[in-house]
Amino acid sequence: MEDELLRLRREALEGFAAASDLSTLEDCRVRYLGRKGLLSAAMRGLGQASEADRPRLGKLANEVKVKLEAALDGRRAELGSQETGRRSQAVPPLDLTLPGRAIPFGRPHPVSQVMAEICGIFERLGFAVAEGPDVELDFYNFEGLNIPPHHPARDMHDTFYVSDGVLLRTHTSPMQVRAMQRQSPPLRMIAPGKVYRCDSDLTHTPMFHQVEGFLVDRQVSFADLKGVLSLFIAQVFSPKTAIRFRPSFFPFTEPSAEVDIACVICGGKGCRVCKQTGWLEILGAGLIDPAVFEKVGYDPELYSGFAFGLGVERITMLKYGITDIRLFYENDLRFLGQF
Amino acid sequence: MKFTVNWLKQYLDFNLTPAGLAAILTRLGLEVEAVERLYPGLEGIMVAQVRSVARHPNADKLSLCEVQVGPESRRVVCGAPNVRAGMLVPIALPGCRMPSGMEIKRSKIRGEVSEGMLCSAAELGLAADADGLMELPDTCVCGDTLIAALGLDDTLIEVDITPNRADCASLIGIAREVAGATGVSLKPPVSASGPLNPENSPFRVEVRAPEACPRYAACLLTNVTVGPSPWWLKRLLMAVGMRPINNVVDITNFVMLEYGQPLHAFDFSTLAGGGIVVREAEADEMITTLDGVERRLSAGTLLICDQARPIAVAGVMGGQNSEVSASTREVLLESAYFNPIGIRRASRELNLSSEAAYRFERGVDPGGTINALERAAGLIERWCGASRVKGGVDQQAKTPAPSVVILRVSRAVSRLGIELIPSEVAGLLAGIGIESETVDHDTLRARVPSFRVDLEREIDLIEEIARLKGYDQIPATVPLIPMSLAGRDPSRVLRDRLAAILIAQGCFEAINYSFISPLAAERLGLPESDQRLRQLAILNPLADDQAVMRTTLLPGLLENLRHNLNRQAREVSLFEIGKVFWPVAGEAQPKEPLRLGAVFSGRLGVGAPVFHYGERLVDLYDVKGIAETIFFQLGIEASFVAPEPPPYVEPGGCLQAVLGNGREIGQLGRFNRETLRRFGIKQPVLFLDFDLESLLKVEPAAKTFIPLSRFPSVTRDLAVVVPEEVGAGLVVDSILSGSFPLVSRVEIFDVYRGQPVEDGFKSVALSITYHSDEQTLDDRVVAREQGRIVEMLGSRFSARLREE
Repeated sequence: MEDELLRLRREALEGFAAASDLSTLEDCRVRYLGRKGLLSAAMRGLGQASEADRPRLGKLANEVKVKLEAALDGRRAELGSQETGRRSQAVPPLDLTLPGRAIPFGRPHPVSQVMAEICGIFERLGFAVAEGPDVELDFYNFEGLNIPPHHPARDMHDTFYVSDGVLLRTHTSPMQVRAMQRQSPPLRMIAPGKVYRCDSDLTHTPMFHQVEGFLVDRQVSFADLKGVLSLFIAQVFSPKTAIRFRPSFFPFTEPSAEVDIACVICGGKGCRVCKQTGWLEILGAGLIDPAVFEKVGYDPELYSGFAFGLGVERITMLKYGITDIRLFYENDLRFLGQF
Repeated sequence: MKFTVNWLKQYLDFNLTPAGLAAILTRLGLEVEAVERLYPGLEGIMVAQVRSVARHPNADKLSLCEVQVGPESRRVVCGAPNVRAGMLVPIALPGCRMPSGMEIKRSKIRGEVSEGMLCSAAELGLAADADGLMELPDTCVCGDTLIAALGLDDTLIEVDITPNRADCASLIGIAREVAGATGVSLKPPVSASGPLNPENSPFRVEVRAPEACPRYAACLLTNVTVGPSPWWLKRLLMAVGMRPINNVVDITNFVMLEYGQPLHAFDFSTLAGGGIVVREAEADEMITTLDGVERRLSAGTLLICDQARPIAVAGVMGGQNSEVSASTREVLLESAYFNPIGIRRASRELNLSSEAAYRFERGVDPGGTINALERAAGLIERWCGASRVKGGVDQQAKTPAPSVVILRVSRAVSRLGIELIPSEVAGLLAGIGIESETVDHDTLRARVPSFRVDLEREIDLIEEIARLKGYDQIPATVPLIPMSLAGRDPSRVLRDRLAAILIAQGCFEAINYSFISPLAAERLGLPESDQRLRQLAILNPLADDQAVMRTTLLPGLLENLRHNLNRQAREVSLFEIGKVFWPVAGEAQPKEPLRLGAVFSGRLGVGAPVFHYGERLVDLYDVKGIAETIFFQLGIEASFVAPEPPPYVEPGGCLQAVLGNGREIGQLGRFNRETLRRFGIKQPVLFLDFDLESLLKVEPAAKTFIPLSRFPSVTRDLAVVVPEEVGAGLVVDSILSGSFPLVSRVEIFDVYRGQPVEDGFKSVALSITYHSDEQTLDDRVVAREQGRIVEMLGSRFSARLREE
């Protein structure tokens, strides 16, 4: 019996060592250590051994089993690592310098991006957004804004007409009149959109984008206008950007102002872009003229408000250093991909 | 409005650099467009006196001159015909550079030494053209610099006058502003003239249109000698870009620039009946204006006439028939106030703008009529040797009441957001000629002078206060306003979401003009009945290809595509979200529905790595996938049907997306070659063309939580042979239609044509997932369900199981 166990041990150890791959080793394990294997059979035979021999033989059988299992694990680890090595030789390593696999995102048009940024700033200040028709009535574009027929201020707007009294809006200011006709104060609103003027050169296209903004309540002052626009300019350009308000004229605001920022190209020293003045005009603004309030039925004694209008292309050009406004409407992918 | 700094100093003693003056003007709201040194490059030019002139020995047309420049004497060769001994002329000495950049050198001309060059006005940039040397007035001193001798050390300033500030279209108006800002007092050459005495007037004036011409004044000058203007006058007019004509006309222009009051000089001898009639034109009256153009007038245009015919279009331009010429001896000088609207209309109708019309249509000073007339008459007496016939005519419908405006200082404080006291306000206003008196502790009664036609209301004065105080003195505060929650415009939300989805699909956003060529819709080959052919036309388009409002986004996008392909783009995916314009019968304004358009061409995905994606071209499934992504992301149930194909698509290459209620969302497809050829494109292009109004009307399905199942699902494959015309998608839809509650998902994994499948049939291989929320499915249940599916497909599509 003892010999039998020692022989099994020898043969099994030889078998494990001889196994050249994991599947042969597994066959070997089943043969010797399996549930119906030779060692199990031998151990079942212990029952026939003498009373005296039994404990010694039992102990030996156990030692053999432990020894074989350890040997099996060792050999299995050896073969395992060999096989992994072989497999990794068959599959080439990843070339991590190859590009990732994705269809790249497109981009919003730069005018849309800046428009969204501008609207976002005012929305955070609590302004609502409203839009109106592009094909507008003379009343909303001009008369309601205190620009009667034959007023020289009409010269400031080269207007496209589609019929008598119907035109392509020359600014987004008509939304002031439309909104005030619909709603009573207090009112905080911006009106983004396309506007049209018969003009075309390096800095003018016959269609461009404006954002109009207005705020009406009791006791709104010119100082409030300065405050709100200063917050806006600090956001859209930089908190360090110098701002200048200077008197101007719009028929629908009084007092009226043009707002300049220190030239973003030369920093205010004077260059070609700012025509050596160090300043760039970026928007027009003012307190809403009482005549406009009268047109919409607001009491100018009770209410005051401010309004402003800015050109989105102009701000986009200044932000990115774009020199030709016509590029916005060619939709060249080499242009659109830059923003 | 252009003026020079030295000219302005005639009305105001100030000591400012041109830049300092420009800063003050800008701060006052007179936006400075340009500040330019005048006469650049004349630094080296001196005044010389010609001592003697002799013929050049070797050239007929040249002279040899001895000239004196201060203490020095020089020999100069000169080619000008007008050179003569004794004259004072400008000389450029060797080493000096001409305005043209040419350097003057000591040289030999035909063998004779020339130590400098005698100059013409044109060579010095002082006149547009010249015949011969510039002869300097004898007030110049030989040896001085030309700049000192002629007072050329001057700077031109150009300001942009806003339409409300008619008063600043004049030197005195600008000087008044500077006076208000600096505290220096204004010195107009003539102010507070007395009334004209009509008694001795040798002419009559009859105003038949007092509404259009509220005031008409005139006086007569005799013994006038018409000739070139003196140098100082020519210089100032030329500096501001006006062409000198003759002394009389130049003086009227000069005074117009000084006072902002346009004047007109008539040759009195040409006036029939020796008088003036101011009346409205009858239709089709004719007049030849000073610019030599014969013009047809419409009824109502205001005319200045003599007893027989029109002699001027009032306030716009004089007539040739009464023009002052070299032979004129008697001048009738006109100074009037015309109704601004009438002048503007006349100027528009005649398409004729002039310095006079510019001022009249903005409103000249109705109280300044006589001052300007007196000033001009005085200058004509002084510079044209004329004598003034005493008196004159001043026809005034009624003397306008002085304008009084009540100003509450507290209102100015609340509107501007600064602290002000009445005495400060009164002081600011007085600086620009607005006198006021105190009514009570808060109220001022301000008398607005007649030249400020723009000041009528309290708010107008508040603006003046802000301007004079300085906008930079107003603090920046933020308004206190009650909180309110602004709703979000659903159309903006939808546009933003759509843009984000398309961008995530690799599309770039385009923005095109809202107007297109009227031919663009034709290029799409649309039939007569198509709504897109009914376009809103622009009455005054800038260009033929911008003449109608677009009814579709596709032509603009195709144009962008062509632009990019012509610039070597290999792959193009562009989209646009924007309005189109549908005219509505009986409505002034069109409908402006929003649409989404997109075009795709070339490789799939702009910038997608070729290593991974290969050279595969974008196809209809890619575009359908984008459409499906849109619907999925928006939570919209939509399906696709084959529509009646529009004329611009390839046969069988078009899909229509429809909502559950049958409403059409729009189409996607492949353009046919003929259409693309008309747009100048040679490669396949796919498009998507959606109506956002239909999407806006959809309520997205409410989201309700479904508990996650505890039971596993089972997947079985199934291959069926169906006739070719049966769409694989229809097979899937029929299984998912609700008859098979255990089916949770059906995936097509192969469509096969060819042996052993017979011609006219195809094999569709499906992977069907079965699932129950109540139990783990066993094989028998699944087999039974799949059997029912095969049976259904058999009866519905004549499908049979594909044999292995």
